[in-house]
Amino acid sequence: MEEVIVAEGLTKVFGSLKAVDEVSFTVRRGEIFGFLGPNGAGKTTTINLLTTLMKPTSGRGLVAGYDIQREPQKVREKIGVLFQDITLDRELTGWENLWVHGLIHGIPRRLLRERIRELLAFVELEEWASHQVKRFSGGMQRRLQIAAALLHRPEVLFLDEPTLGLDPQSRNRIWDYILELRREGVTIFLTTHYMDEAERLCHRTAIIDHGRIIALGTPEELEKSLGSEMVYVKLASNSLQDAARMAEGLKNVEGCRVQMVKPGEISVSTIKASEAIPRIFEKAEGLAVKIREVTYHKPTLEDVFLHLTGRKLRDEEVSGMEAIRIRHRWWR
Amino acid sequence: MVSPASAAYVMWYRQVKRFVRARSRLVGSIFQPIFWMVFLGLGFTSALRGAPVFGGIDYLTFFAPGVVMMAVFFTAFFSGTSIIWDREFGFLKEILVAPASRTATILGRILGDVTIAMLQGVIILALALLMVPSLNLTGFPLVLAAAFFTALQFAALGTILASKLKSFEGFQLVNMLLAMPIFFLSGAFYPVDALPGPAALAAYLNPLVYGVELSRRALTGMGFLPLPTSLTILTASSIRHFLVAVWSFEKTTAE
Ligand SMILES: Nc1ncnc2c1ncn2[C@@H]1O[C@H](COP(=O)(O)OP(=O)(O)OP(=O)(O)O)[C@@H](O)[C@H]1O
Ligand SMILES: [Mg+2]
Repeated sequence: MEEVIVAEGLTKVFGSLKAVDEVSFTVRRGEIFGFLGPNGAGKTTTINLLTTLMKPTSGRGLVAGYDIQREPQKVREKIGVLFQDITLDRELTGWENLWVHGLIHGIPRRLLRERIRELLAFVELEEWASHQVKRFSGGMQRRLQIAAALLHRPEVLFLDEPTLGLDPQSRNRIWDYILELRREGVTIFLTTHYMDEAERLCHRTAIIDHGRIIALGTPEELEKSLGSEMVYVKLASNSLQDAARMAEGLKNVEGCRVQMVKPGEISVSTIKASEAIPRIFEKAEGLAVKIREVTYHKPTLEDVFLHLTGRKLRDEEVSGMEAIRIRHRWWR
Repeated sequence: MVSPASAAYVMWYRQVKRFVRARSRLVGSIFQPIFWMVFLGLGFTSALRGAPVFGGIDYLTFFAPGVVMMAVFFTAFFSGTSIIWDREFGFLKEILVAPASRTATILGRILGDVTIAMLQGVIILALALLMVPSLNLTGFPLVLAAAFFTALQFAALGTILASKLKSFEGFQLVNMLLAMPIFFLSGAFYPVDALPGPAALAAYLNPLVYGVELSRRALTGMGFLPLPTSLTILTASSIRHFLVAVWSFEKTTAE
């Protein structure tokens, strides 16, 4: 299959900080490739390098067959970029922004008028065409930016955190647009720090942390790498000591791998949760630790990230509750 | 291939649209020169009546052609430096990642700044005529030429400054330290050829001096340099600044 983006040992150093550290990957034609990582992981910097906005310190990159350093002009002809922050001219109207964008991308005027109409309809902003962008809500600005990125029908689309900070409704809409593009076979490089976004939209995902790719595969592959199910155990007491004793005790229990220990909480990966859970209870009884709640579900990218880094992707998200598919509860 | 003409046009369009839309900026930039003429010009006219320094013309007649160029200068310079806001608000990235030739986009942008600055100059000139009907309007084409090159000069200088200084505080400081001396040492307020040594030297290095000189020459017939000299210096230095602006924009990255 044709490779549309190739990164080989791509590195970007800012002073003493390696923002992107020897990153290598390829994106095939028609694929949605995700970069999943926490704040400061180097996602935006990678996009800046691939879109010719910054020069790599070392390494090589090809986009649509062109070298990002030697043929930046050619690369620019092939790409569309949705930047993480708003890059619209807030004083201009929605229509004027698209007009400017279209002409600096070389779209002939008549065709441009037509495309602007089409895309304003696609992102459902027709009624706002003649309003200044500074009057738009965050979600509307994002949608207008998506329209701009698509206006010149780029061969490769870069989307930097397309739904960051948006309300669930706007988020769903943007997902629909991206899924529509996925059906049309547009090649997309997307960054996100939402698990569910990567799971839902991407064919393959790289997990990036401190500028390095620490895992890469389809969401299923990444999740399988952990074992097939995750069991979360909440203890009645909020003590780290109890959790640590439990973890210690579970070490030699067959089919259980402890992934995380926190005060009052541990998580265990296992092949079969239905068999592991009784053993966990047995152990708890033996150690005189009281269990308040046990949940289990298929591992999510969140679990993968946790497993690989020992940290959660987003602190405010409570153990990927939204991704829990099967949920069981016991009371003692 | 992106047509350079389209790219230049649309950047021009954007600069002009933004200016027209920013009503308060428009109004402010027209009232400020009027205040200068009314409060400073009229005041000195009566205080300095008969003083020989102004070559036999009254102060307001001396001052008005300079005010026209001052208006051109401020509008062009601040419009040029506004590229730093484009960086701050992200719009610059949109341009940097587009396949249009950078030379074409910056040319269009600067010509947009020149357009609004000249428009400004013409409005101020019209208002000046109401106060000083004796201004010689046959010099109008020369005033336009002076306004064009002065605007080009300072839109370019603003662009260069904004692409060199990325920290906003540093930029504001340099902006003040540069704009004020250029303004006061422009020859608009008093004849700079009468200044003592070092100050005269600074004045000769000030590109605004030649615009003011040409404007005054055109509208009153007064001046301290031969017309070809000031015209040559002004065009040469504005084209030079323009080329440096293009060159520095070519090298701009998002860093
Ligand atoms: N221009 C720059 N100069 C210096 N350091 C930078 C620059 N740009 C980014 N960095 C640093 O590089 C690291 C990676 O930043 P980057 O913006 O690529 O992360 P990110 O994964 O996009 O994060 P976020 O989720 O917050 O957008 C961060 O530590 C950041 O502070
Ligand atoms: Mg980012």
